[in-house]
Amino acid sequence: MIAVRNLSVTYRSSEREKRAVLGVDLAVERGRMVALAGESGSGKSTVLMAIPGLLPATAATSGEILLDGRDLLTCSEAELNAVRWRRIALVPQGAMNSFTPVLTVGRHVEEVLEVHLGLSKREARERIPALFALAGLDGGLAARYPHELSGGQKQRSAIALALACNPEYLLCDEPTTALDVVTQRDIVVTLRRLVDEQGVGMLLVSHDLPLAASVADRLCIMKDGRLVEEGEPRTVVDHPGNPHTRALVGALRELEEAP
Amino acid sequence: MRSYWARRVGSSVLILALVLVLNFVLFRMMPGDPVASIVDPKFSPEAKARLMEVYGLDKPMLTQFALYVKSSLSFDFGISFLTGRPVADELRSRVPNTVALLGSSLLLSALLGTWLGIQAARKRGGALERLVLWGGALSYSFPSFFFQLMLLMVFAAAIPIFPLRGSLSVPPPLGGAALFLDYVWHLALPVLSQVLLGFGGWALYVRNLMVKILGEDFILMARGRGLPERRVLRGHAFRMLLPPLLTILLLSLPGVVSGAVLTETVFSLHGVGRFLMEAVTGHDYPAAGASFFLLALLTVASTLASDLLYGVTDPRVRLERGRGR
Amino acid sequence: MRRRTLTRRWSFWCLVLLAALALFGGRLFSAPPDAEVAAPFSKPFWLDRSLPPTVTADLTPDAPSAEIPWSWGAPSRFFVAADMVADAPGRTILWTKPGGRTVEIAPLKKGVERDGRDMAFKRALGLPPFADGAASLLDERGTYRLSVDGQGPWEGTVRLRLDGGRWGLFGTDQRGRDIAALFVAGIRVSLLVGIMATLIATALGTTVGLAAGYLGGWFDSAAMRLVDLLLSIPMLPILMALAAIWGKGLWQLVLILSIFSWMGTARTVRAMTLSLRDTAYIEDLRGIGAPTAYILRRHLLPETLPLLLATMTLGVPGAILSEAGLSFLGLSDPRVISWGRMLHEAQTFGTFTAGAWWMLLPPGLGIAVLCLAFLDMGKYLEERTDPRLRGGALS
Repeated sequence: MIAVRNLSVTYRSSEREKRAVLGVDLAVERGRMVALAGESGSGKSTVLMAIPGLLPATAATSGEILLDGRDLLTCSEAELNAVRWRRIALVPQGAMNSFTPVLTVGRHVEEVLEVHLGLSKREARERIPALFALAGLDGGLAARYPHELSGGQKQRSAIALALACNPEYLLCDEPTTALDVVTQRDIVVTLRRLVDEQGVGMLLVSHDLPLAASVADRLCIMKDGRLVEEGEPRTVVDHPGNPHTRALVGALRELEEAP
Repeated sequence: MRSYWARRVGSSVLILALVLVLNFVLFRMMPGDPVASIVDPKFSPEAKARLMEVYGLDKPMLTQFALYVKSSLSFDFGISFLTGRPVADELRSRVPNTVALLGSSLLLSALLGTWLGIQAARKRGGALERLVLWGGALSYSFPSFFFQLMLLMVFAAAIPIFPLRGSLSVPPPLGGAALFLDYVWHLALPVLSQVLLGFGGWALYVRNLMVKILGEDFILMARGRGLPERRVLRGHAFRMLLPPLLTILLLSLPGVVSGAVLTETVFSLHGVGRFLMEAVTGHDYPAAGASFFLLALLTVASTLASDLLYGVTDPRVRLERGRGR
Repeated sequence: MRRRTLTRRWSFWCLVLLAALALFGGRLFSAPPDAEVAAPFSKPFWLDRSLPPTVTADLTPDAPSAEIPWSWGAPSRFFVAADMVADAPGRTILWTKPGGRTVEIAPLKKGVERDGRDMAFKRALGLPPFADGAASLLDERGTYRLSVDGQGPWEGTVRLRLDGGRWGLFGTDQRGRDIAALFVAGIRVSLLVGIMATLIATALGTTVGLAAGYLGGWFDSAAMRLVDLLLSIPMLPILMALAAIWGKGLWQLVLILSIFSWMGTARTVRAMTLSLRDTAYIEDLRGIGAPTAYILRRHLLPETLPLLLATMTLGVPGAILSEAGLSFLGLSDPRVISWGRMLHEAQTFGTFTAGAWWMLLPPGLGIAVLCLAFLDMGKYLEERTDPRLRGGALS
């Protein structure tokens, strides 16, 4: 289990300090999907990036991030590297330039297999078709360079890359932004299947509340760095306890009821 | 894709043709009678006319031009006015020296500069970064020949560790190994000076590129995948640095010839740069024309090669360049 | 955040100082910079205190004698010359030693000259042919006196020079010229060439860049092709050829340099013009029928001006270095004193055999400091126009 306890993050620069996350508690279990929703700038991406220790050097953190009882915040870079991708993998934002442009997407997958599982180049290559199929992609695309893929294909490649070392937990940061509605649905279905069939524990960060509510087992809402609402998705949406959530849900209703 | 290369090669040929015409016209515009420098005033008009005939200067301009193009393309550059020996022979004895000087100093300064630039980009605000920033500023503002003169003054005149002038001792030592060592000993100070002057520019360039690359998302993600730092740097960051670095290395080739002119003059080396300089100041058109033709060839070849190499090392370029421009 | 003002920059004061020296520095020296003032390769005065300095004295009818305190060994040369309107019969030039013994140097005649190395003079002094005239005339320590003695009117100047081997702040060169004076004269050339060449290049580049960016089409592609071509060819050999063809004058040099350094500005201005061309307000202007020339002159040019000032300042070091390089190769007017020329002469006329490093340092460091100052000033101007660049190289 990943347990985030009382996490606070402050960005420091020479001019000012910005508190991005304030006392957030969160738990992600295997085989379950937790969605973290909120408007942009609410701190939800910071929480996600803090888990594998990927915040910039200007960020000061306090609290605990426990992976099966071990605090990741106090781990060294080498210890973190042993956890990253083998146990906790990441599906970055679609808009993010997450693949190295001069390497094929297949090469990215081979590299993590070689580094983390000690496979030879040939063994690694043989695993690629199955991994790509798991993400709903044709294995032939592995030979392509990132710029030769469409947005949806790139996102699915990122999922295939994340699944390469069979991780226990998957952190998905806005995996569906910048994609068309049909592709969005497909990817969300793929993610849900991973949770149900592979027993992956998933943290899904999204600003899309209806999408998050429809797919997750648990829904958390963040505002201005604080967790303001947490519970069963249906309960949160139908009986929002917090005025901010109520406003969010209200806006949704209006959208849905509009002709 | 193919049309892109056809156009690149086509424009290169066009540039070369332009250089040939310019070469021909420019050196016939130089002040002073072309044969004045080789002909003693006491020569009889007949003797003078015979010399004009030997050099082909008595024929109509168009014929001269046709002959000039034909011989340039077959690397037969005629006979030097100043030395009276075939220009091709003169060049052949000098090219290896210049290649040794420029090749070794370019390679060393690019290697040192790249390493320093990467280290500076990794540890921003450190002493190394300050060294790189100052080194870069100095290499853009320090007169190279002054620096080289000072080196000569200190390490050849005041403390005679290195020779004052020349590419070999006079008389040259006997035996292959001794000759080679003597050559290296004469080349050491020129190369050292070029490296010291050149690495700063490289380091600054690499540092700026690397700072940008290290700030990219894909580097953060490579770290996020738990790759060891060395692998992130070599497999991803350096791999991204490679295409622009190789391009600049190739594109800087013609420019370093300028450096060769000054360096070979300061250290009195037997090279192409000093040959060019003497040819230009001595109104030796066959020699100057040949040097400029070779320089143009080098420029065009390095530009073409850099385009080619960029296409090979950066997959994104293959598409973009094929479409546009 | 620290506010950076112009007057807090070292480069500003450095440039002010150099400009002042270029304008008024000539007045610091009594002789013109190309005059021979001391022995060749004289050391700077502060370098070797045991060497005798170079001493000069002028005698006129109002001051017919001069005292010369001397506490060193013999000078390398003893030289007296009379610059007279007419001969003065009955008068002689006398040299009085500290002990009171007098030596008659010469009768005071028009154009008379006496040099301690001169055979006839040595014979007149009663010295053997291989003796050193200067050494015998200055063989004691104490106060010597040079005077015009005798009766009768005279008009003119009698000049004495004792070449000791030390001179001025920076010493002398192979022709006995004052390096400090040459250094000051060289500032003017470097500044003039650097600034003029960059000004012309900037004007050229701005015109091409504005036209290419605004007009687009075939002109744009032709201009940019030309820029690519000019950027790819090695500068120095071309400059050398042009200098050899056009002649070595200063203005030819300025013109040649500017023809080969406008490309960067053209690119920058074109890029800026492209980004401004499609902004709403320029489109509005076009919509109401403003003529192209008006839009370019009154709206696009002022927008690009601050950036232009920075690129211009950053371009000056390149021009200065090119001028210095060409002069160093001997491709400059030999009558014009410049820092590059000084280095050329230093290399050609045996600095190394004479060990005269003081011939190299002033011009070389002068070029380096001037270029660094322009570079720093350019960085400052760039930061002013684009605050994101703050915290750059030389702050």
